[in-house]
Amino acid sequence: MHIEIDEISKSFGTTAALHPVSLSLPSGALVALLGPSGSGKTTLLRILGGLEFPTSGRVMFDGQDATGLSVQDRRAGFVFQSYALFRHMTVFDNIAYGLNARPRASRPTKAEIARRVTKLLELIQLPDIGARYPSQLSGGQRQRVALARALAIEPRMLLLDEPFGALDAKVRKELRQGLRDIHDTTGLTTVFVTHDQEEAMELADLVVVMSMGRIEQIGKPQDIRARPATPFVREFISA
Amino acid sequence: MGRPLIHRSPMPGLGLSMGITLTMLSLVVLLPIGALLLKGANYGLAGIWETVNRERVWAALFLSFRLSLFAALFNLVFGVLLAWVLVRYRFPGRRILDAAVDLPFALPTAVAGISLTALYAPNGFFGQLAGEIGWKIAYTQWGIFIALVFVGLPFVTRTVQPVVEEIEREVEEASATLGASRFHTIRHVILPMLTPAALTGFALALARAVGEYGSVIFIAGNIPLVTEIAPLLIIIQLEEFNYDAAAAIGIAMLLISFAMLLVINLIQVWSRRRIGYV
Amino acid sequence: MSDITVTKGAPARFRATTEESPLARWAMIAAAVLGLGILVFAPLIAVFVEALAQGVAASLASLATRDAQEAIKLTLTIAAISVPLNAIFGVAAAWFITKFDFRGKAFLITLIDLPFSVSPVVAGLCIVLMFGTNSFVGGWLVANGYPIVFAMPGIILATMFVTFPFVARELIPVMIEQGRAEEEAALTLGASGWRTFWTVTIPNIRWALLYGVLLCNARAMGEFGAVAVVSGKIRGQTATMPTTIEMLYQEYLSVAAFSLAAVLALLALVTLLLKTALEIRHADQLAATHRH
Repeated sequence: MHIEIDEISKSFGTTAALHPVSLSLPSGALVALLGPSGSGKTTLLRILGGLEFPTSGRVMFDGQDATGLSVQDRRAGFVFQSYALFRHMTVFDNIAYGLNARPRASRPTKAEIARRVTKLLELIQLPDIGARYPSQLSGGQRQRVALARALAIEPRMLLLDEPFGALDAKVRKELRQGLRDIHDTTGLTTVFVTHDQEEAMELADLVVVMSMGRIEQIGKPQDIRARPATPFVREFISA
Repeated sequence: MGRPLIHRSPMPGLGLSMGITLTMLSLVVLLPIGALLLKGANYGLAGIWETVNRERVWAALFLSFRLSLFAALFNLVFGVLLAWVLVRYRFPGRRILDAAVDLPFALPTAVAGISLTALYAPNGFFGQLAGEIGWKIAYTQWGIFIALVFVGLPFVTRTVQPVVEEIEREVEEASATLGASRFHTIRHVILPMLTPAALTGFALALARAVGEYGSVIFIAGNIPLVTEIAPLLIIIQLEEFNYDAAAAIGIAMLLISFAMLLVINLIQVWSRRRIGYV
Repeated sequence: MSDITVTKGAPARFRATTEESPLARWAMIAAAVLGLGILVFAPLIAVFVEALAQGVAASLASLATRDAQEAIKLTLTIAAISVPLNAIFGVAAAWFITKFDFRGKAFLITLIDLPFSVSPVVAGLCIVLMFGTNSFVGGWLVANGYPIVFAMPGIILATMFVTFPFVARELIPVMIEQGRAEEEAALTLGASGWRTFWTVTIPNIRWALLYGVLLCNARAMGEFGAVAVVSGKIRGQTATMPTTIEMLYQEYLSVAAFSLAAVLALLALVTLLLKTALEIRHADQLAATHRH
């Protein structure tokens, strides 16, 4: 799905988290929102997911205005930094949650839900953990379950907030490849937030460098590296 | 067998703190309870059964337990609502409400008892209102119910409140991004997370209500078989110097207390094992 | 920040995804206010209304009677003895439980909590059976001139029984959270055990201790069921404030009963006020969960 961000701004009280920013994300792209904390990257991601509403501006999905679309109707697969798994539910129930939450008329049958969950568990290469509780999983496994849960609702896009933030270096490397593979298999427009420039450069097709609520530069990793647009970008990517 | 009874520690004061703890615990709590159990043992199971197995005793035990259950159920629902309102919403007077939740802990039971009676008696403020629709509250089981709701009010709220504070917003947001309505989120995500704490508070409120005396006797009317609670029966037996019968009823009540203590612990073990926290 | 544009009119109807609709919110707040109003505030107000039913003078006069004075004196004496004893127990038990590792710790905590789940009347009964004239111990004590039941020691024991867990229960979670590192540091610096206790431990737990003592005291002065059983309710001798309230009430001396009740209600209000102040100012030093 093509995502168009048109002059979006967001202020909390008197502080501006986002100055009007515009951005066009082509369908099927894997995009990194890169910046230090306080750069507005997470706010932008939450606006895309419908968890915050912009103070001004519009969000367009495939040319249609989605600014006022409620979070429930947005069908954005969202992976939270803390994963936010439901700890009183098994992995299976976590992944099935979005399907079970649908109104009766559009809810798949039990057998269909089970089939889809099993398929997703295979996709994240953890076929045998359906009966476990989140507290019994490692950090890397939790992240993949959160990803599977987001994919279960057949999202129109995938949004990830610091998806590798809480993991150690080795697991992080593995899961980067895992995300790349899932993106390539599903073909979903994917946006992830990170403060790690190496991660952004290695994984994304398109990198959006942000600072202080503004976009500093948009470009392919190699272009940003070769021609940093501002002193901030030069400083940040060399860090 | 390899684990020593007490691990060696560089901390000072082992003998003194252990001595004070065990001596006072024995003197104040364990020996008196032991005296009750001993009395029961002398009296014999048959004797206890004979005392308890009378219509008036069964009626009192059943009344205490049944009304306590209803009051605890009311407090379960109202307590969860109160915990949610106090943690999540900001409105004028919230701090006063929060402090007021503890009043039943702080107000002496006898004071609560006569005050509730004054309010719900036929010539009292609420009693008159209820009387207009022919509803008698004081000196009926309704009066006992209200007194038991009063004494059990803080338990569920105070156990659930910290859990509500700890719910991560992200978990609720995750539910919404997966398409769940607010109602679905509350029903399937929030309430299950509150369940272990709410059940603990429920059991505490129930235990408190079953043994409650001071706030109930004034409003109850104390009619045998109808509004006579179990603790009152013990007092009546004692006033007639009928120690065996008092002990028998006391042991029956003690067993109910122990059973409820066990339930509370089982709830906590269960929730810790399942969810990884209490 | 001049470039913030708020021109396109942010859709005001959107609320955060983690909130209920305003209607549901206000309905729940209304239910909470109404429920607490009827269940808690009404009885509290009723105490003062009834006490002042015949004017302030009548109310004060009833408090000046000998019976009332004796009851107040007795209740204060009992609290002054049983609360410090329970505070000492609470500190010792919390120290023993949190500074040492031993088998049966969970069981010990359960035993300390036991009085919370025993009916006060049963507690009183236990003490009567242990120390009453027809028990072995009680008979010997009475014969030697130390009656426990129907006398002050019995009332103190009954009061201590029902308030037994308050201080320990407040201190244990706080001291677990604080760990042993600070005491260990003091010891390595050469401080003696008592010095470590007074200069390191006590400053760290003083607000939690005060909190526990406050609740313990409120309950001690207000205890009715257990005291009613052991005291014999002898006027001017073993009748505490709560038992005197009962006697006055049953003699239809409503103003006198409610005036004494109002004194206890004021004490409860002061307790709540101090408790709330502690929770606001020293939240970091109190246990995270308060169940009692």
